[in-house]
Amino acid sequence: MAKTALQFILLYIVMVLAQVIVFNHICLFGYAVPLVFIYLIIKLPVTMSVNLVLTISFLLGLTIDIFSDTQGMNSLACTILGALRKPVLRLYFPREDEMSTPQPSFRSLGMSVYLKYVFSISLIYCALFFFIETFSLFNPLRLLIKIASSTLLTFIIIIAIDSLTSRRREKRL
Amino acid sequence: MRNLIDFLIKYSTWFVFAFYVILSCIFLFDKNPYQHHIYMTSAGKLTAGIYDLSHNITSYFNLRETNEELQVQNARMEEELLGMKARLQLYEERYHADTMTVTEPLRPFRFIIASVINNSIHKPYNYITINKGAKDGIRPEMGVVDQNGIVGVVNIVGDNYSRLISLLNPNFRLSCKVKGNDAFGSLVWDGKDPQIALLEELPRHTVYTTGDTVITSGYSAMFPEGIPVGIVSGSEKTIDDNFYTLRVTLLTDFSRLATVRVISSDISDSIRKVETDVNEEKNKN
Repeated sequence: MAKTALQFILLYIVMVLAQVIVFNHICLFGYAVPLVFIYLIIKLPVTMSVNLVLTISFLLGLTIDIFSDTQGMNSLACTILGALRKPVLRLYFPREDEMSTPQPSFRSLGMSVYLKYVFSISLIYCALFFFIETFSLFNPLRLLIKIASSTLLTFIIIIAIDSLTSRRREKRL
Repeated sequence: MRNLIDFLIKYSTWFVFAFYVILSCIFLFDKNPYQHHIYMTSAGKLTAGIYDLSHNITSYFNLRETNEELQVQNARMEEELLGMKARLQLYEERYHADTMTVTEPLRPFRFIIASVINNSIHKPYNYITINKGAKDGIRPEMGVVDQNGIVGVVNIVGDNYSRLISLLNPNFRLSCKVKGNDAFGSLVWDGKDPQIALLEELPRHTVYTTGDTVITSGYSAMFPEGIPVGIVSGSEKTIDDNFYTLRVTLLTDFSRLATVRVISSDISDSIRKVETDVNEEKNKN
């Protein structure tokens, strides 16, 4: 238990640093921004209590907000994402107790379910974030392109990170 | 009482959720950037420290372009200096140098050089973090320029770092005019293209052509008059017939900001002092 907690704290720090130092400065074609730090929320164990998931999500969003001067945008989107995470997973994988490990991954959920899960989470987050961001400067077409391209980019990067880390873990076993 | 506790435990998830959502909304709707607390911004010690570390590595990437721009500016200044020297000589000859008292040149503006350690251009409200703060003499509401043009205005000042409101932020309006014309309007970014801003509220009788330079008007105490801001690239349709809105291509390349100069001005201090004095007088009466 302590080992997993430590792993998540490490992942938290790495994700925040990666997002604010590298990914925040990427903006493909003026539209696509990778919001990769939600990888942490994706990876939280299913068995974790919802209150704790909400707290971690909120703190993660707040940290990103402080770094990128976005005052509450990420914390609001992250909190909502933390609440929606379990229902989304249940949509594709109704039998939680059949998972081999409580942590969602390629192995515990199976390829197609996991891909669908990650894609849905990315889509929800990008939609929430860009919708909150464009409250005052509303431009529907631009908003839709932003959401679609950012979702795709986020999804691809998260899957890439995941395949890298999981391969390493399998070798170790 | 027991029922109440049971109720609270049963629906605790909803309460926790509502609490975080309300907290985020409080941050979110606090729109005025001057009221942000320093620990909630990128000028805080930890956040700015991390940006400073990564800046130490990435600052080498754009050196070539920055160097070229500096060379160009240097050449222009040298030309100007030579012109000034020639003119000074002319005056000295005309008024006999030995009888003229040499006055200290009027220097109401001083520059503080700083490095940009964090910057964004694609958000609707952009901010910049620089590595100079209160210890280096930076105060809120100082103007910031780079070698090409206007960058923004100082917003939150920490001991060693400060945060600027970028020109690419709709919260920042800059008083500007078309060169060769005294009518002024206010320049504001519309959140779309990081290279284009709008010059709004320009009186209808203003004469302009595409390609004219837009300069600061000097009506705000932050920037001296005549700093180039951008080039007129067209006009926008407006609902109000009494004013023009011009599209201005900005001279500053915000995607490659490296070294900026903070304008520390004695004038703005004295103006502010006068303004506060007047306000205090009003309050007394």
